[in-house]
Order: sequence, then C-alpha cells, then structure tokens
Amino acid sequence: MKRLLPIIALLVLVMPVRTVAHQLDEYLQAARIAFARDRIVLEIDLTPGANIAGEIVAALDSDGNGVVQALEARAYGQAVVGDFDVSFDGQPVHLTLETIEVPAVAEMRRGVGTIQLTVAGTIGPAPDGTRHVRFTNRHHPETSVYLANALVSADRDVQVVSQRRDYRQQQIDVEYKIGSRWPLQFIWVLVGVTVIGSRVAARQLRTA
Amino acid sequence: MPSRPLKVFVAIVFVCGAAAASSQQSGPSADATRRAVTAADAFFSTLTPAQRAKANLDLNEKTRTVWSNLPTGIAMQVGATERNGLKLGDMTPPQEKAALALVAAVLSRDGYQKAMQVVDADQLLEERSAPTRKPGSQTRFGRAEYYVAILGKPSTTDLWMIQFGGHHLAINVTVAAGQNVLAPTHTGAQPASYQLEGRMVRPLGDENDKAFALVNALTDEQRKQAILGFEVRNLVLGPGADGKTIAPEGVRASAFNAAQRKMLTDLTREWVDIIGDAAAAARIKDIEAGLGETYFAWAGPTTNGKGAYFRIHGPTVFIEYAPQGSGDNNIDHIHTIYRDPTNDYAAKAARR
Repeated sequence: MKRLLPIIALLVLVMPVRTVAHQLDEYLQAARIAFARDRIVLEIDLTPGANIAGEIVAALDSDGNGVVQALEARAYGQAVVGDFDVSFDGQPVHLTLETIEVPAVAEMRRGVGTIQLTVAGTIGPAPDGTRHVRFTNRHHPETSVYLANALVSADRDVQVVSQRRDYRQQQIDVEYKIGSRWPLQFIWVLVGVTVIGSRVAARQLRTA
Repeated sequence: MPSRPLKVFVAIVFVCGAAAASSQQSGPSADATRRAVTAADAFFSTLTPAQRAKANLDLNEKTRTVWSNLPTGIAMQVGATERNGLKLGDMTPPQEKAALALVAAVLSRDGYQKAMQVVDADQLLEERSAPTRKPGSQTRFGRAEYYVAILGKPSTTDLWMIQFGGHHLAINVTVAAGQNVLAPTHTGAQPASYQLEGRMVRPLGDENDKAFALVNALTDEQRKQAILGFEVRNLVLGPGADGKTIAPEGVRASAFNAAQRKMLTDLTREWVDIIGDAAAAARIKDIEAGLGETYFAWAGPTTNGKGAYFRIHGPTVFIEYAPQGSGDNNIDHIHTIYRDPTNDYAAKAARR
C-alpha cells in the first residue's frame, strides 16, 4: 500500500479540477417580471457558459469581426424576444425589446459575460381584480438553466398573489391583484362614520 | 414671555432628545464605530499617498455597488472591471496586517474567521487551477486578489463604508454612527470543504447543516409548503441585483412552533452575526419581530450531504443559499447572498 501512495498523490495532483465560477455547458437565463397597471416588464439576464459561448457569440457577432455592434445586439435581442411568449388573462401580449446590453466578447467566451435585456408588453389600463400572466421562455431549451421570478411591484395597489412554475422554470404563471388597498365599500363606511360622528359632535356642542 | 408649563415641556423635550442622541452615541455600537475609525486611520497611516488615493474613494450610489462573486480579471455584474481599493497582494506585510485589522474591527470573531476561511478556500482554488490556466487568461483566484477599500471619510457620526472582497466574498459594512449595517453581503465557497493544518474546514458548513436540520424539523404540511416544486440553480438576487424585491414564497414562519422559530433565527444568524455583536443584536431583534411575516423556501433534496437551494425572506432579511451546477458536484461550490430589503447600505440612516 505504501508503494501506491506516491501514485495516488500524483493522481490527485493531475486530476482535472473544476475551477470555473459558472457551469461550462449551461446557458443561464434569469427572468424577473415586474407588473404595473398598464404594462409588464421582463428583466432578462443571459449568461452563456464557456463551452456554449462560441455559439452565442456567433449569433451575436453576425459579421464575425469580433465586436458586437449595436445593430447586431438589437437583432439578437429581437430573436431572443421571439422565443418568449407572454399572455395576460389568456390573451397574447405583444412584446417590445426596450434595451439590450452585451458584454465584451472575450468575457462571454470565458463564460462570465451577461447579456441584459429589458422587454416590455403593454396591457392597457388593466381593470381591478385578480389578473393572470403566463411567461414562457423557449430560448435555447437544450442547454439552458432558467430562473423566473415575480418582482414586488413599485405600485402598492398591485400585489402578487401566487407563482407557479414548471420544474425547469421555463414557464411561470403569476396571479396578481390590482386594486386599491382600501376597498370601495370600506371607504364609503369611513365617510359615513365621519359624517355621522361630526353631526353628533356638533349637536352635543350646541346642547352644551 | 413663555408660560411655566411651556418651559417645563420644552425642558422635557430637550432632555429626552439629548438622552436619545446620547443613546445613539454611546454603548457597544458606538464603541464599534470608534474602533473602526481608529483601525481605518491606522491602515491609512501605513499607506503611501498613491496607495491611500486608491484605497479611499468617495462613498456614492455607484462606488458602493462595486462588488461581486467573480474572481479578479472579469468584469463585474455592475460593469466595473476591478474592485474598489487595494488588493492584499499589493500590500507590504504591515499594510496587510493593518488592512485585515480594519476588517476585523467591524466583524465578529466568528464572522472574521468565516471570511478568512472563504479566502483560504480560494487560495486552494488558485493553487489547483494555476498550473492549467490558459495562457493570456486574466482570471485570478487566491488570497492576493482580495481587496480592502474605505468609501467615504472614516467618522463616528457620518456614513462611510468598508469593503473587503474577492472571489466568493463581498463584505460590505456601512458604518453608520453606531448602527453598522452588513447588507448587502455575499459569501461563497469553492471548495466548500478542505483540509487545512490537519483539520477539516467548511466555511459555510453551519449554514448548510442548520438549514437541513430546519427543513427536517418541519411537519409534513409545513414541508409541503416550504418545498418549491422546481429547481433553483442560482441566486435570484445575487450581485448586481440591488434594489430588487421578489415576491416571497415557501412556508410562512407564523405557522412555526417555538423550536422551529429558534432554528430559523439561528440559521439567519449565520449571516447576520458576521458583523460585530452589537449591530448583529439589533438586526436579529428586527428579524425576530418580523418572523411572522418571514418565509422559508427550499428546492432540492432534504437529505444532508446533497445540494439544495434555500431562501429566507422576511420584512428585514433576504438570504439565499445556492449550490452551483447539478448532480453530486454542486455541494462543493456554493453562492450565498444576504440583503435587508429595508436597509441595504444603511438606507435608513442615509435618509436621516
């Protein structure tokens, strides 16, 4: 056994070590969904792993000059958006690419560059009540790892009620409520109590 | 001429105000601030003017966000290509000693030890990866690549910040006149367990073990609510996601019994207690007050020894623990994040 120890030690030393900060062969796609009364905004972060970055860079850098120009980035972003489906209360929502930021090609090739997209869908002034949004991401399904989460809305009258996803988080269903935090009935009761209270107080002051 | 009752009222208000102000400027928290200022001045005194200019930057909304989970040589999530401050590898031994003394001054003993265990793990990663590094690669791991920065002017009254970070570590302490704030802070580990001087070290081992203990202490019904029916392969609100708040999910701790609540608080302490004791005690008090509105979520197997994601999300706390990758490899590469949705970078003190 003692004679084997140097061999074992050597094997340990030469064994390949996974040193990358991220998975090599995965395309990480993180979606955060923001809700407002009149629109839905998707914040998308796309991080290709080093082993698949070449394919993504080739799609981005269509003229192959090693630099991703704004028009090339926009064209890639439009293609990505084409792989998204959003529905609002069962009706498809037209999506628009608002912004796309692309990291340096060298960073993507090392598997650490993140492409950031902002995508918006207009839903008009949505009526009060419980609303349902479904987001489906079909971009690069073979190699992707997905995250999908609903953001807490900046509008306090818009509140997420529930989120359901498939196992890979490729699809998320979000139910959220739109409406005043103070129900109309409560406001009318409050007004009534205030009016009656002030009348009673006035009468008591007069009799005093 | 003010009436006598008015004078008495004004006197009472003045005395109460003075007492309140004094309570903020004295006690263990104020001592911690004074220690931090002293340690910062001591660190500055070891530096050349050029080094000091690099180590001490303005504190603003841009500079404070420059931190990451990534190694040196890679652009961070916020776009910066280098961390703030001076790296340990560019310091003389006395400078490094003063820099680490500054970090230690604002952390608890256990917190400092945890941070240095993350650094040691990364040094091991550097030693393993250097021989096979591709020519021309700028990526670097290891102790020399950890940066110390002071943002703002060290003060016992005004806000300033100490950053200590490198691959898998971003300690961001906002020194806030006796109410120091640790959020947002990132810890991670790769390798997640290693031998050092004959003993096994697991920088994030207690986080892992306490979480598995908690998920296994839940009732069947609670566990059903806690376990998300999908895989979570990375942090949702990691570096670069400042100011975002996701909708909470999982089981609400309002349904927990006293023992489960204690387990949840103890788990939370693994992050909150990184900072000095007095500041941590104040944060824990806030977290306990909000336990009824705190959620615990889990994704993955519930047998310790396997990789699982978990999240603690309450009014004043947001914690994620995310093994990287899939299969059996994922337990050796961990990312975590700690945030305070109401008080990242001491937002409350900044508003005052």
